Amino acid sequence: MRSDPGVRFLLLVAAAFLTAEAQQPASPYAGSEACQACHEDIYNAFAKGAHRGIENDEKHGWKGQACESCHGPGQKHVESAAAADIQNPAKMGAAQADKVCLSCHLHEPTRVGRLDSGHAKNQVACTACHKIHTTGPELTALRKASTINAQCTSCHQGVWAQFQKPFRHKLPEGAMSCVDCHNPHGNIRPAMMQTFAANEPGCFQCHGDKRGPFTFEHGPVRFEGCGTCHEPHGSSNPRMLVRHEVRLVCLECHASLPGAGPGGVIGVVPPSFHDLRSARFQNCTVCHQKIHGSYVDRNLLR
Amino acid sequence: MKLSLTLIAILPALLAQQPPAPPQAPAPASASPPPAAAATADTSPAPAESWLTGSIDLGYRFSTGVGGSFDAYRSIVNLGEGPKLLGADFTLTDPKHRLFDQVRVRATTWGGEPYSTFHLDAGKARRYLFNADYRDVAYFNFLPSYADPLLGRGIVLNEQSFDTRRRAASFRLELLPGNWFVPYLAYDNDSGSGTGATAFVSDANEYPVPTNLRDSTHLYRGGVRFELRRFHVTLEQGGTTFKDDQSLFQNSGVQNPGNALTPVFGETLSLNNLLAAYGVRGTSIYSKGLMTASPASWIDLYGQFLYSQPDSNVHYQHAATGNLFAQDQLLFYTGEEYLLTAAAKLPHTTASFGAEIRPLHRLRIVESWMTDRMHSAGSSSSTLALSGLGVSEQTAALLASSLANNYNQQEIDAFFDATSKLTFRGGYRYVWGDANYAVLPAEGLVSSDQGKLRRHVALGSVSFRPNHKLWISGNIEGASSSGVYFRTSLYNYQQFRAQVRYEISSSLNVAADFSLLNNQNPTAGIKYDYLARQESFSLFWSPGGGKVWSVEGSYTRSDLRSDIGYLSPQDFQSQTSSYRDNSNTATALLNAKLPSRAPFALKMTAGGSLFVSSGSRPTRYYQPLASLWLPLGKHVNWFAEWRYYGYGETFYLYEGFRSHLVTTGLRFSR
Repeated sequence: MRSDPGVRFLLLVAAAFLTAEAQQPASPYAGSEACQACHEDIYNAFAKGAHRGIENDEKHGWKGQACESCHGPGQKHVESAAAADIQNPAKMGAAQADKVCLSCHLHEPTRVGRLDSGHAKNQVACTACHKIHTTGPELTALRKASTINAQCTSCHQGVWAQFQKPFRHKLPEGAMSCVDCHNPHGNIRPAMMQTFAANEPGCFQCHGDKRGPFTFEHGPVRFEGCGTCHEPHGSSNPRMLVRHEVRLVCLECHASLPGAGPGGVIGVVPPSFHDLRSARFQNCTVCHQKIHGSYVDRNLLR
Repeated sequence: MKLSLTLIAILPALLAQQPPAPPQAPAPASASPPPAAAATADTSPAPAESWLTGSIDLGYRFSTGVGGSFDAYRSIVNLGEGPKLLGADFTLTDPKHRLFDQVRVRATTWGGEPYSTFHLDAGKARRYLFNADYRDVAYFNFLPSYADPLLGRGIVLNEQSFDTRRRAASFRLELLPGNWFVPYLAYDNDSGSGTGATAFVSDANEYPVPTNLRDSTHLYRGGVRFELRRFHVTLEQGGTTFKDDQSLFQNSGVQNPGNALTPVFGETLSLNNLLAAYGVRGTSIYSKGLMTASPASWIDLYGQFLYSQPDSNVHYQHAATGNLFAQDQLLFYTGEEYLLTAAAKLPHTTASFGAEIRPLHRLRIVESWMTDRMHSAGSSSSTLALSGLGVSEQTAALLASSLANNYNQQEIDAFFDATSKLTFRGGYRYVWGDANYAVLPAEGLVSSDQGKLRRHVALGSVSFRPNHKLWISGNIEGASSSGVYFRTSLYNYQQFRAQVRYEISSSLNVAADFSLLNNQNPTAGIKYDYLARQESFSLFWSPGGGKVWSVEGSYTRSDLRSDIGYLSPQDFQSQTSSYRDNSNTATALLNAKLPSRAPFALKMTAGGSLFVSSGSRPTRYYQPLASLWLPLGKHVNWFAEWRYYGYGETFYLYEGFRSHLVTTGLRFSR
């Protein structure tokens, strides 16, 4: 029987497809179930964590492959059981580890401050703070004040030492956490300070009475912030001041001496009748009590 | 306290309730391999899990009393006796996901405590997230050494003392979390109220008087987030309202001599009656726009635009009687009435834009630019009427004020990955700005000021991580300025920080941290010399995974030296403001589980912190603690804790205190 050339061509094409399919390499991905077989504890922890949704999520294209969304293709590792055959973000350099996280988290509001973030500039990886496999109430993002503080101060030990001073914000007591004042993802303000009402210093979140705007402002509060006069982490001096006597905090700027540079410096001249040998004048804020700015008096007296 | 009682009341009910039936057809947690449905379980708890997990700590605190200055104790520690809700941390899980998947609640120290917190997180996957946060913090400050001009007369009265509470509440609702379109709404409230002492300044004398403080700020905001694969945009609009109703008063029948010791022209000044009231009302609006984008695989863009315009309106008045004196007119009078209306507004614009460019596999270049511009304008209109002793004089004044700051910053950083374990960064930042401040009409020596900011900063850092056990990092900044706003501003400075973390073994971790800031302003008339240095070392040792004992500790030494010249205002003699602070801080915590044949082993914790400083204000502050934990049953632990607070100052011995506090209670958990 002579077959039709058209039929022979179709059979040839079909055979080629079937052969090609048979020769297609196996997927490098093993699937989360394969991971669970050996890493059951981690798998179970992951199933309770913030990333658990990836396993079902169509959006990022990792359905059924949540483990491999961070660890990369796992089939080779499944076959060899060798640690070298799979990537581990916890053991990577910061840039490489961040790349894994940012493949999903780049386009989120937390990333906007990245350019100003000291953490990003100093190669502190996302995984330095965020534990992906952790179980318990403190999951990927820490929430409890004491846990957040412990996390931050594991690197910022010197700052924690400042919080052992008598005059401080109440962090050791668990009433506040580092992220109440700092945004660890970066912010426009120095030291990654939080902001209030868009672009005002985060201090005003709690100290609303210092916010103003005042009819008569005190320049340093606006120009260089609360840290000009206060040590917010803690101080030996009452009111967390940077100096042991209030008058010295004031006189270091209001010095009666000419300023520097072509534009000079601001606020060098105080009134001349203050006799600092008298107890009356040794604490300037007894009279200049509205030192953060006054609604009423140009000399900040009331 | 109400919350404590409520929780105490509902606790037995919570513990008595049986957990609801497990979800239908759950997959066994240990099944291997599991059915796909179980593997992809989004929020369903494992069948063995309870619908309620967590703990609540109830107890009673005893105090031995305070030896030494009770006011200093309240200013620093302020813990009291009585029944307390010491802590609560629990999670409610709804296996059927009806109204929520989980609700997490945390609370700390309720029951007359100086700082109480409550936090709630609730959410349902892809439907909503809700957070509520409440804090109530006592602010007591009464330290005679701080502001007591009368101390020489034996009168202990801090003229800047407070006994107030600040309360902050915050609520946030986010809809459709995880979606590409996420709307959200939030409300924040911050308020303060209480009493204090302050000085009423009346030209030639100032009179300490009681004050009532009351202020509140409400913040309302809402916005949307668009989160897509290649870009993200957040748009937020918000507004605030503010009010401040502080008042000062002194009732009739009291003759307040004030702070001035010497009679004026033979007459003793006094304040006999006072009522002063502030009525401050403020509003603001703000807008916020955030953006990230990845137009190509080698570039990411970031930007934000922030605008706010707070304003305030003020009505202030005071009426005072006494024997008062106007220095500029050399005039005695017996009555003073002052009325003022004022207004101010502060438009404030901030914008930043930047890009991360990756031209090569190992090279990243980050360029950023930021500007921050605020221009404040205020005006006031006031009338002062003096009366008595044949005087009847009325003075009106109109004042205008302005404050402006235009700050700009540009920075470029290059990151080079020499290897996958070693990264270098080099960069340059240029900061420039101008500021001015004026009050018109000019009066006395102060009318207007101007300043310019010009600073060049060189940046560098290195990060080395040869393996996951060792991490070494260092960064350095060096700056040169040709203009700054204030005498104490950073001028020519060098900043350095180095950190090492090393995991010696699976049970022993050590870390060291060194930082230094050297700031010099050699300009004639300033001569500012500042050096701060800090070294820290910490250790965490937990043999056997800490099952029997573990210890963690840290030690920090810091030295601060600051010298800057000034002229004393009374005689214009050259003086130096010198500040020294050399401090040693140690913290330690030992956790041990005492051996026991009983099924329940006693756990012990001991440690605390120690701070000692020398220099301008030598201070000692000790906070040792020890605690015991004994399980009484599967769900109940007994605990007891001892804390000691000891504070002392070399120059102000009368402000030292010491106190022992013992707290005991029960932790209920499930």
